[in-house]
Amino acid sequence: MQRVEKMQRQAIKIEGLVKRFNDIIAVNEVSLEINEGEIFALLGPNGAGKTTIISILATLLKPTSGRAYVNGYNVVKEAEKVRKSIGIVFQDPSLDDQLTARENLDIHARLYHIPKEERRRRIREVLEMVELYERADSLVKTFSGGMKRRLEIARGLMHKPSVLFLDEPTLGLDPQTRRHIWNYIKKLKNEGVTVLLTTHYMEEADSLADRIAIIDNGKIVVFGTPSELKDSIGGDVIKIRCSNVSKLKDRLHENGFDAKIINGEIILHVNVAEKVIPKIFSLSSGIEIHSIMYKEPSLEDVFLHYTGRAYREEEASGIDRIRMRMVRR
Amino acid sequence: MIHDIYTIYLREMLRLRRQRVRLVTTIVMPLLWLGIIGNAFNNAFKTVGSSLLGGDFLSFLTPGILIMTMVFTATISGITTVFDREFGFLKEMLVAPIKRESILIGKMFGGVSQAILQGIIIIVLAIFMGVSFSGASSIPGMLLTMFLVSIAFVSLGLAVASKIKSMEGFQMIMNFLIQPMIFLSGAFYPVKTLPSWLKIFVRINPLTYGVDAMRYFAIGINEFNVILDLTILAIFSILLILLGGHFFRKT
Ligand SMILES: Nc1ncnc2c1ncn2[C@@H]1O[C@H](COP(=O)(O)OP(=O)(O)O)[C@@H](O)[C@H]1O
Ligand SMILES: [Mg+2]
Repeated sequence: MQRVEKMQRQAIKIEGLVKRFNDIIAVNEVSLEINEGEIFALLGPNGAGKTTIISILATLLKPTSGRAYVNGYNVVKEAEKVRKSIGIVFQDPSLDDQLTARENLDIHARLYHIPKEERRRRIREVLEMVELYERADSLVKTFSGGMKRRLEIARGLMHKPSVLFLDEPTLGLDPQTRRHIWNYIKKLKNEGVTVLLTTHYMEEADSLADRIAIIDNGKIVVFGTPSELKDSIGGDVIKIRCSNVSKLKDRLHENGFDAKIINGEIILHVNVAEKVIPKIFSLSSGIEIHSIMYKEPSLEDVFLHYTGRAYREEEASGIDRIRMRMVRR
Repeated sequence: MIHDIYTIYLREMLRLRRQRVRLVTTIVMPLLWLGIIGNAFNNAFKTVGSSLLGGDFLSFLTPGILIMTMVFTATISGITTVFDREFGFLKEMLVAPIKRESILIGKMFGGVSQAILQGIIIIVLAIFMGVSFSGASSIPGMLLTMFLVSIAFVSLGLAVASKIKSMEGFQMIMNFLIQPMIFLSGAFYPVKTLPSWLKIFVRINPLTYGVDAMRYFAIGINEFNVILDLTILAIFSILLILLGGHFFRKT
C-alpha cells in the first residue's frame, strides 16, 4: 500500500547540543528542528549562545556533547560535506578589504570549485541582487558598513547553498540599511534557501522569521511562529503606572490576576483588556492611577513572560557598538 | 588540493599587487646598506680587503643583504596570517570545503614568492651598482638557497603568528630573534677573523649556512662546504615547516 504524505524535510536538526568553554556553558542542551525552506530566527540577548550554535553548525567549533545535522550530514563526522552545502555570513566582518568586491567573490567561488564561466555569471547575479554591481571593481575598504554587509550576503550566496547562516546580519547598521537587508533576506525565501539567522533585535525576528526560538543563557526558552508565541501568553498586555504599585499589585493578586512589577510598572496579561480595565479602576481606591496602556503582546512581552526579565535591546546594542569599533580598528 | 592551494596563493598575489608601495619601501633599507655602507667599506678595505674577503666588499656584502631582506620579508609575510584572523578572512577560508593544509601551503608559497621577488630586485640593483655575479655564479643554486631561506622564515612567521597575538610580541621576535640571527650570520663580515667565542654563536646559527651558500652561488666565495650549507639549511627549513604547520593547524 502506498501512503501519500506531505513530507517536511529537515534542513537542520540539533539534538541535546552542549558547548562548554572551560567553566562557561555557552550552549546548554539545545534541541531544534528547522524545516527546509523556512526562515528561522534565534532571538536572544548578547551572550545567549547564538554565535556558538552557528559556529558548531558551520563546523568551526566542536560540540562538547550532543549531535547536530545539516542537510542530513553530521557536523562533526561529515564536516566537509556540511561545508559544501552551507553559506555563512559571520557576525564579525570577514571580507578581504584589500581586494575588490569582484575579487572577493572570485576567490570565494574558486574555494567552492565553481567553474570559470559560471563564476563570472554568478558574480554578476549576486552583485546585482544586492545592488552593488556598479561597485564590483572598487576596493572593499572604500565600502560603507552596509555595503560590506550586503557584499557578505552576496558572497554567502555565491555557491547556491541550500542552508544560509546569517549571524546578526544587521548588527550596527542604521535602520534604513537594515530594512534594505531585510528585503534581500525575504527574497531568499522565494529561491528555496533555508535561512537560520540570529539576532537580538526583536523587530528583525518578528518581521523576517517564519519561526523563532527565544534563547537565553544557552537554553531555548520557547519556540514557535511569531503569532503563536504572542498568542501563547494571552490576549492583551496591560501596563499600569500608579502612585503605589505594590499595593495595587497585591489587590490584583487577591482578585485572581497574574500581575508583575517590572521597571516600576505593573504588567498584566489578560484575554480582553477592555473588560478588565474598569475592574482595575474599581480596585484602585486610594491609589492614584497615572496611566493605563494596553496592547497586543510583542516579542518583548513574550521574552519577559518566559524569562522573567525585561529585554533590553539598547543595552545589548551598546555593547555591540563597542565591539564593532574594536573589530574595525 | 593543488587547485585550492592555487586559490589561496592567488589571493596572496592579488594583495601583493596592491602593496606595491610596501614592496618599494622594503627595498630602501638594502639600497642604503649597499649604496652607503657597501661603498664606504669598499674603499676602506681596498688595500687589505681582497685577500681576506676574496673579492671587493660590495660584492661580499650583497648576498648578505639579500638574505637579510628576504628573512625580514618572509617572516613578516608569515605573520600577516594574524591580520587574517583579526580581520576575519581566516574564517572565510576555514569554513570553505578545503583542507587546512591547502591554506597553509598556499600562504607559504605566497610569502616565498614575495621574498624571492625582492631577492631578484636586489640582485638587479646590485648589478647596476657594479657587483659582478660572473664566474662561479649559479642561478639555480641562488634560487634554491633563496627558496630554502624564505620558506623557513615564512614558516617561522606562521608559527609565531599562531602563538603571539600582539604587535609588541612581534617587535620582540624581530628584535630578539630575527635581528640577532642576521647579525650572527656573517652577512656583513667574514666569519674567519671573529674571536672564537663569537664564532661559536655564528656556527650554531643556521642562517650562517644560508648566507654562505648564497655567497658561494652568487660570487663564488665560501667558508664552509656548500653541500654542508645546503644540508643544514634544508633540515632547518623542514623543521620550521613542521613547526609552522603544527601551530597553524591548532588555531
Ligand atoms: N571562544 C570562547 N571562549 C570562551 N568563552 C566563549 C567563547 N565564545 C563564546 N564564549 C562565551 O559563550 C557565551 C555565548 O557566546 P555567544 O555564542 O557569542 O553569544 P551570542 O552570539 O548569543 O551573543 C558567552 O558567555 C561568551 O562569553
Ligand atoms: Mg553573537
